[in-house]
Amino acid sequence: MAMMRCRDNEIMVVAELLEGRILPVTHEVIAFALALRGGDSQFIRMIVPGRDIQEMANELADAIGIDVIALEGDHLDPYNAEAWKMALSALLAEWNPRYVCIPHTSLGCDFAPGLAAGIEASCITAIEGVCNREGLITFTRSIFNGKVMMQVASDADMTVLTVLPGVFKAEEKFPTFPDHKKGRVEVVRVPEVLQKTRVLGMIRAEERDLDLSIADVIVSAGRGIGHEENLALIRQLAGLFSKSAVGCSRTVCDLGWLGYKHQIGLTGKTVSPKLYIACGISGAIQHVAGMSGSKYVVAVNKDPGAAIFQMADVGIVEDLTIFIPLVIDLSQTDPHSPA
Amino acid sequence: MMKILVCIKQVLDSDRPVRIHSSGKWIETDPHGLYRMNRFDEFALEEALRIREAFPGTWVDALSVGPERAAQTVRRALELGADEGIHILLDDERYRMPWETASRIAAYAGNKGYDLILAGVMAEDDMQGQVGPMVAEIMGYSSATAVMSEKLIPDDNRIYVERELEGGHREAFALTLPALLSVQSGINRPRYPALSHVLRARSQKLITIAAKTWNPPAPRDHVVCLVEPAPVKSSVFLSGSPLEKAEKLVKILRENAWL
Repeated sequence: MAMMRCRDNEIMVVAELLEGRILPVTHEVIAFALALRGGDSQFIRMIVPGRDIQEMANELADAIGIDVIALEGDHLDPYNAEAWKMALSALLAEWNPRYVCIPHTSLGCDFAPGLAAGIEASCITAIEGVCNREGLITFTRSIFNGKVMMQVASDADMTVLTVLPGVFKAEEKFPTFPDHKKGRVEVVRVPEVLQKTRVLGMIRAEERDLDLSIADVIVSAGRGIGHEENLALIRQLAGLFSKSAVGCSRTVCDLGWLGYKHQIGLTGKTVSPKLYIACGISGAIQHVAGMSGSKYVVAVNKDPGAAIFQMADVGIVEDLTIFIPLVIDLSQTDPHSPA
Repeated sequence: MMKILVCIKQVLDSDRPVRIHSSGKWIETDPHGLYRMNRFDEFALEEALRIREAFPGTWVDALSVGPERAAQTVRRALELGADEGIHILLDDERYRMPWETASRIAAYAGNKGYDLILAGVMAEDDMQGQVGPMVAEIMGYSSATAVMSEKLIPDDNRIYVERELEGGHREAFALTLPALLSVQSGINRPRYPALSHVLRARSQKLITIAAKTWNPPAPRDHVVCLVEPAPVKSSVFLSGSPLEKAEKLVKILRENAWL
């Protein structure tokens, strides 16, 4: 089926798949693209790179109602940065969209900057918001662990955007035009070329403790706890609650204070407990992405500027080596006895 | 002999308050000059030093693009054990977009014949994570980001890497050299400087090259402004002495039947 080419206000979304299934984060990126297009899905198109994906592309086009390009190549699945960049840059040169939207996942972060560099596009990563400032489209992203937000605008004809997961709400069905109820599918076959990058396969994480995912209360430690010994306080605090678990930020794992199975965030676990107590956690978006679904957040940090306070229900600016022992003491006394 | 380039960035110490500059385009220069090496780059430098230990004769250059103060961080790399320090000197404190920085690194490194370029997965200040993969693209190097392990085998022109995915999974690749890796934090434990290196670093000259040696790269994007973040929730800060705050918190925990 022939399609119109080169509509200069078109947006293309690169889908992310895992084992032949489209990941929910792709729907979030479509929601972002829709926000960028002012709710008009007519100019949004999805690229699905992979092997034998035509059938899935058809299903997606039917289900979501936007046009899909099935980018077919034996060397595109499993993911290979070099092959993806080559296939995508050829496709983008032909279609010339205004924006290319990619999930800000481990995979998206791997190929987006190189893709942009190679096709003279602007590249803006980890986007959390988009706004129109008197006709200038700007993209909002966190810097300094979320203490400040940066608004960036593109000066190039094409712009590659990576969209932070967990920010834009995915929708099941997107609005379409009356004569355009189902998306159309075009298959683009990519010839295999000699690669400098060879895929050797996936290494699965060891079985993790299920503690974090089923806990009602998570007490989490960040670099701000200062010393490894202070983990004892965190454990004691967690011990006050039934169905509780100890979590941490990536830095704490990197320092070797806790194993990676305790890590909460973009590259760790995503949790949504009833109560989340963040101790010495700065609130970097990489961590927040893993706990923003918590029902109630208590943050303890001696830095009043820490970004974690922006999303806390209760904030306590205090040295936690003084504060936590007080909480432990008080909670073990009978609330009905006179102080 | 293997030649490695490590890209390092000087950042404001994260414990320092961050104030937006009156131009609105970047942050105020810290009056106390409390800057240090980007932690993610410390892992990259450490990985290079470990490769040199495993393959004696390997040469390690450390390079930073930054204003005058960045020289301290290049010197720090020498103290940690880099063989040579290169400072691409910027005239001012203005923020540069990743494309501009990557173009300058590639302009320097282009004809130096590096077998391997290492960078941190991102900078702690602007959190872009772009400079590494962009340098690779400009130079035509194969690349991988978020690398959690690497292995070189003698007489093999490939580097074997594992990169980190969500949920602790990894994927493994063999990259033909020359290659660029952006390394994820936790790949190693960065060392402390050895006295012998500290003494050598004191007298060793840096290679300083003015950024304007090359035509400025045409920017592809720009910072419109920096803004304070809007709170997601209206949080209540507990007030009083530490004990009073603890009492208030315990009360909240009990009211919600968590305790």
